[in-house]
Parts: sequence; structure tokens; C-alpha cells
Amino acid sequence: MTQQRGEEEVRATLEKVWLESRPQALERVATLERLAEAIRLGAPDQESREIALAAAHRLSGALGVFGFGEASCCAAEIESLLAGGLPPDGATFAQLVARLRTLLEEAGAQNTAQMEKRNT
Amino acid sequence: MDNPLSKTVLVIDDDRDIREVAKASLELVGGFTVLTAESGSRGLLVAQEAKPDAIILDLMMPEMDGQETLAQLKRDPGTACIPVIMLTAKVRAQKQDLVHRGNAAGILLKPFDPMLLSRQVCEILGWISSATEEGAGDSATR
Repeated sequence: MTQQRGEEEVRATLEKVWLESRPQALERVATLERLAEAIRLGAPDQESREIALAAAHRLSGALGVFGFGEASCCAAEIESLLAGGLPPDGATFAQLVARLRTLLEEAGAQNTAQMEKRNT
Repeated sequence: MDNPLSKTVLVIDDDRDIREVAKASLELVGGFTVLTAESGSRGLLVAQEAKPDAIILDLMMPEMDGQETLAQLKRDPGTACIPVIMLTAKVRAQKQDLVHRGNAAGILLKPFDPMLLSRQVCEILGWISSATEEGAGDSATR
């Protein structure tokens, strides 16, 4: 197998895995959104924070691997805020989560467009 | 110089996406044979059974984390000599410290570039000359 062929196959695998994983990624963003709402209401419990921290960690790693660098950095920033221990600033946290949602939706649209282009 | 095409690499990571992408990358770009495990405890069993040439091990996993898995691999005479590359997003500040304390062969940062992963692994393990590689990215060897 040539290097170029191998890389093409990796790209195809990335697309396939991303399409399968995107709903879960969006669910992880929803987890972060629920925590943002809980922070706004002043009632974030420790378990929710830990679940959100795990979600942000996974998003940070996986999104970057799929080539969504900006979304990965945004998730890493959220992870960093949550890992700090103290309740994160509500407004900053909510803005970051909203930004992540937008980036993820853009990533989905971009991915679909690329696939359609390849199939025409 | 070792030929990476004859090597088997075990990827231990609880994130299915990372396992699948790493497997595809290492097989299709690097030409390795790749085994995967979804947890530290499962990884130990696979390592004992298959004796891979190298292990890529996620640091942050629930239950048995990467540090504990690494410690157990190094305690077992059957797996102690297998080089282990730690895969983690949390190393920039503590990269070298982690490598020295944990007996890891090196560090790979997550997220990794799937097109460069094989090169980085080879570079860390000395399987090919790092002098011929460009842009191998964020890796640290011991």
C-alpha cells in the first residue's frame, strides 16, 4: 500500500468514525450546556461537574483528532475551567459552551459538504 | 534499525473514537499490526497474551488509569520490557516529569494528527531515523 493510499483510507475512516460519533459529541455538548444552566441557577453539584469534566476531556481529544482544531481548543479551555476545582465563572463558561456548540455544528456542515463533493 | 512493518502495537484507550482512529492510522499509514483495548485491566491481559512490540497508553481512564496500568506493566516480568508511550492531553507542563517518573518511553499529545501518528511512534521508539522525518509534532522521548 502506498503512503498516499494509506492516508486516503485514513481520511475515509476519519469521516466514517466522525459520522458515527457526532451524535455522541453533541450529547456531550448538551451535558456541558446543562452544567452551564446549573451554574447560572447557582446549583451545580459535584457529580454534574465531574460528568461535564469527562465530557470536555473527551471532546478535546476526539475533536482534534478529527481535524476540528478550534473546537478541540475550545473544549480544552472548558476542561481547564472545570479542572480548576472552583465553580467556573458562569458567563465565561456559558460563552465557551455556546461557542463549542457553534463550532461543532459548523464542523458537521463542513463534513457533510466535503462528503457530498467527493460523491459528485 | 528496526522495521516498523513487522511490529505490533497495542493501543489502550477508553475512548472508542481514539482507538479506531489510532488503529486506522497506525495500520494504514504506518503498516503496523494493531491491537486495541478499552481499559487498563483489559490492556494488561492483551499485553500479557500478545506481547506487542510497543504500547500506546492513555493516561486518563476511569478505574485503572494510565499511570497505574503502566506501573503494573512494568512490574510484570512478561511485559516489563515493552516500551510504553503515554497518550495524554495533560502534559505540557509536566511532560518530562511524567516520562521520568513513570518509566514511559515517551509521550504523545492528544489530540494527535492521524497522518503523523506512525511517524511519531517510530521516532520515539527509534524504529526509523528521526532525521528523515519532518513535522513529527508534539512528542517527547525519554
